[in-house]
Amino acid sequence: MNSNKWMNRCRASRLSGWLLAATLGISLAGCGGSSSSNVAPAEGEGAAAQEAGTATLVIGAYSVAKDALQEILPAFGREWEAKTGQKLKFQESYEASGTQARSIVGGFKADVAVLSLEGDMDKIVKAGLMSKDWKKTETGGMITRSLVVLGTREGNPLGISGFADLAKPGVKVLFPNPKVSGGAQWDINAIYGAGLKQAERESGKKDAAAAKAFLKAVYRNVESMDKSGRASMAAFEYGVGDVIVTYENELLARVAQGVHYDIVTPDDTILIENPAGVVDVNADAHGVREAADALVAYMQGADAQAVFAEHGFRPVNEQAAERFADRYETPSGLFDIGYLGGWDQVRSELYAKRGVWYQVLAGK
Amino acid sequence: MTNMLQSRWWSWGFRSTVMLYFIILIVCPIAGIYVQSLSGGFQAFADNITEALAWKSVLLTIKLAAISTIVNAAVGTLSAWVLVRYRFPGRSLLNSLVDLPFALPTAVIGLMILLLLGPRSWIGSGAEALGTTILFHEPAIVVAMVFVTFPFVIRAVQPMLEELDASEEEAAYTMGASKSRTFFRVILPCMMPGILSGAMLAFSRALAEFGAVVLVAGNIPGRTLVASVYIFGEIESDNPAGAAAVSVLLLTFSLLILWTVNLVRRRRAR
Repeated sequence: MNSNKWMNRCRASRLSGWLLAATLGISLAGCGGSSSSNVAPAEGEGAAAQEAGTATLVIGAYSVAKDALQEILPAFGREWEAKTGQKLKFQESYEASGTQARSIVGGFKADVAVLSLEGDMDKIVKAGLMSKDWKKTETGGMITRSLVVLGTREGNPLGISGFADLAKPGVKVLFPNPKVSGGAQWDINAIYGAGLKQAERESGKKDAAAAKAFLKAVYRNVESMDKSGRASMAAFEYGVGDVIVTYENELLARVAQGVHYDIVTPDDTILIENPAGVVDVNADAHGVREAADALVAYMQGADAQAVFAEHGFRPVNEQAAERFADRYETPSGLFDIGYLGGWDQVRSELYAKRGVWYQVLAGK
Repeated sequence: MTNMLQSRWWSWGFRSTVMLYFIILIVCPIAGIYVQSLSGGFQAFADNITEALAWKSVLLTIKLAAISTIVNAAVGTLSAWVLVRYRFPGRSLLNSLVDLPFALPTAVIGLMILLLLGPRSWIGSGAEALGTTILFHEPAIVVAMVFVTFPFVIRAVQPMLEELDASEEEAAYTMGASKSRTFFRVILPCMMPGILSGAMLAFSRALAEFGAVVLVAGNIPGRTLVASVYIFGEIESDNPAGAAAVSVLLLTFSLLILWTVNLVRRRRAR
């Protein structure tokens, strides 16, 4: 009887022991994981693997680049192995550009960052994980180009030809929310820049007030500001809206999949440039510095550029650009981020706390 | 003596394990949000909350969550009634379907609403013919909230109905009460605690809904931007303090509601 009781208690205390262990386990996992529930390998593991003639490269990329990267990475792996005899394994993580940058800053041990905009690279540089020199390549650290273009229903029933048409009454416009999707800042930059161009043609000077008024007029017609460029396209394909503002490569990829869009390239639009760079601190810690440098160089080279071009991007490499020249026309009023004063100025003027974009939203 | 000591140890261990678990998983993160929201000082907190886009999104969220809660309280009570009181083929299947909204990723729910209520669908085109748009306007947000919080009221009311003593109802009839009188004087008071607590849970959940709403709301500030999406935007644009401030507003509101529910329940139980 007594022993029976004791047995019961014993079982109970063992149970509570398990509970305690489980709690601790969960809490530790919760604390240690922070924002990087991603695929960072243990450092020791990476070093050990390397001795055996293989290395693991961790890639933190923005989601739009996924399809192209999944072709480029294995090709680079083969080339690297032929050159050095070292086998490369890739761990890839695809997120929205801003999220990816934040998780790298927060401890995701990516060796190479492939992001949508320079501003997100700057976040990593500011955190001290990457040297400022990532821009010092032939292409300025950029691996792909594209344009901000307009997608309309088949046959362009509303006769949209440029950003000015988006401000016309009754036109329903879709673009992603630049606060939520960093990539959408390109879209807003394009509209704002087109407003500047217009003002420059009419009055001879880059009138910021006129550009803001133009942005406001377009914003009035916005039906939805989605979470991401992909979400905007999904909504458009379910029948919402008349025009979608997005990247040329995204639309080309959708058209290649058999979805019907008419792509309208405005005369005044912005040249998108997407960067890639080595996250120095992580690459050094993993001992994959050379492979990481080589990958970034490879992505800027002709082979990778051809693959990017197949996926609708415009090449940054002269050689590849010539090869695909007939596929892409360059609009007459094309401008780059420099026309708006560079990313620093754009960030402080447009997207700062009380910046132009806020004023447009708040109707001020 | 040793027995007592052992049992005291056991209960102490068990209690502290649960407390530790609770503190680490629930209390710490929530306290963290309060701390984060005040990280820039009280003035910054006040600025973040009085921000026009912020409070407008909170008000809109409360309004739409209230509408969806009313819908759910009414329809949920009816559904619970049907599921408990009637026997029909497919009842048990229907009963198990009730919990499905919890099992679906909310983004999938959002996609389904896009598909079913979009301008290409017959519901969407019908609404358009009547001069309103569902998708990317308030109705779509309410639909998303209703769908996501659907099980709460049903699951809270069901046990109340099952426990209801049939003799009470029969007594009412024998004493000559009409059907409606019996319902309102005997049955409804019985279900009321369930309806209330279910509705309040649904309301809290609706306030926080993100995944489905972000896909079907236009996310336009002042018109269709709900608090959760606003918060997400603030996080994405590197303003964690602003995000935390609005979260605190929602959290405090939810806490008050859940507390009230508890009070109401306890008073009923007495």
